[in-house]
Amino acid sequence: MRNRILTVTGILLVLGIVLYIIGVRSTKLHISVAAEPVICLGGARATLETCASGFPLTNSLITTAIVLVLIIVAVLAGTRTMQMVPRGFQNTLEVMVEAFYNFAQSVDRKNVAKFFPFCASAFFFILVSNVIGLVPGVGSIGVCVPTAEHKEAAVVAPVADVRMAEEPAGAPDFFASWPLSCEKGTTLVPYLRAPSADLNVTLAWALVSVGLIQYFGFQALGLGYLTKFFNFREGFMMALVGILELISEFVRIIAFTFRLFGNIFAGEVILVVMAFLFPYLLPAPFYAFELFVAFMQALIFAVLSLVFMSLATEAHGGHDSHGHSETAAH
Amino acid sequence: MSDEGLRLIAAALAVGIGAVGPGVGIGVIFSGALQAMGRNPEAEGTLRTYMFLGFALVEALFIFALVISLLIAFRIV
Repeated sequence: MRNRILTVTGILLVLGIVLYIIGVRSTKLHISVAAEPVICLGGARATLETCASGFPLTNSLITTAIVLVLIIVAVLAGTRTMQMVPRGFQNTLEVMVEAFYNFAQSVDRKNVAKFFPFCASAFFFILVSNVIGLVPGVGSIGVCVPTAEHKEAAVVAPVADVRMAEEPAGAPDFFASWPLSCEKGTTLVPYLRAPSADLNVTLAWALVSVGLIQYFGFQALGLGYLTKFFNFREGFMMALVGILELISEFVRIIAFTFRLFGNIFAGEVILVVMAFLFPYLLPAPFYAFELFVAFMQALIFAVLSLVFMSLATEAHGGHDSHGHSETAAH
Repeated sequence: MSDEGLRLIAAALAVGIGAVGPGVGIGVIFSGALQAMGRNPEAEGTLRTYMFLGFALVEALFIFALVISLLIAFRIV
């Protein structure tokens, strides 16, 4: 097994060096912050990133659906024939859920059953959607769409593209002659894009997470939860602290959104830039790092939601009760 | 100085200055974690989890700077 992996790696390495020496390069970077619509349902395309009319079916929306189907099918397949002593795929699923459950239990033992469903769902969805962005072909197979300057060449044909984007005039025109590449004046719109690299997806998760934090706070403390933010009975200083707490609730939405989006989007950009600087070899270590980041960011999102939820359910000024729960947890 | 040059300087400064704080922060996190592991080798598993949690939190700041820098560099904002 290990020999086979080494052989495949070696062959890929040699192939990469040969292609590098021949002079195969991607010629220009194409980076899009927004998710582009692949087709506009019942409408026409206005520019590369917007639809003039109709429903924009963006590439991240397609990938989100794929991720959901993947997770649902995997869970259904794993739990179809439930056994008391799990084997095979059911065992794998149980190990993953159980590991996360134990970790959640170490954060907040009392309310873990209440917080766990959302946090675990967030963890697995974000994990799969981060990792799917690293699958070869996601972000590099798509349709050719004319750029704004070349409207007249409105040919939309499904192709697989090796090249990142159209070249500027005078740049080496190596890939334009290849059978499966985009023509000059058109640029690639991929069919698939990692959902976490779309700001809408991460903003939705952040809003749901912060909303649930407030919900659990009200559920646990009633209207007393509001005294955390509007606290005018303990002097000027505590009132100020309350206002700061209120602001920090809103900052949490922004931080959740941009932490996930930024890490995944910047990771993809780094991979493209490294492939551009030194093709075939340099991206490999960054690829491994991006796998680590994909796992880490999913964990961070879930654990931060968990920690904030458990903080929101704690009574205001309850330093003693906090100390007790700390000692009880250990 | 041309607009192009200003844009490139802005992008480089955004990522360069943005890397200073997180760099110090990551150093503090790993030094603390290594010291704790040295003093209490049994707690290494838990410590490693929280170390990477802190590392990823601090690294997010650098990622913010990197995203802003990329946005400037590729003329998106």
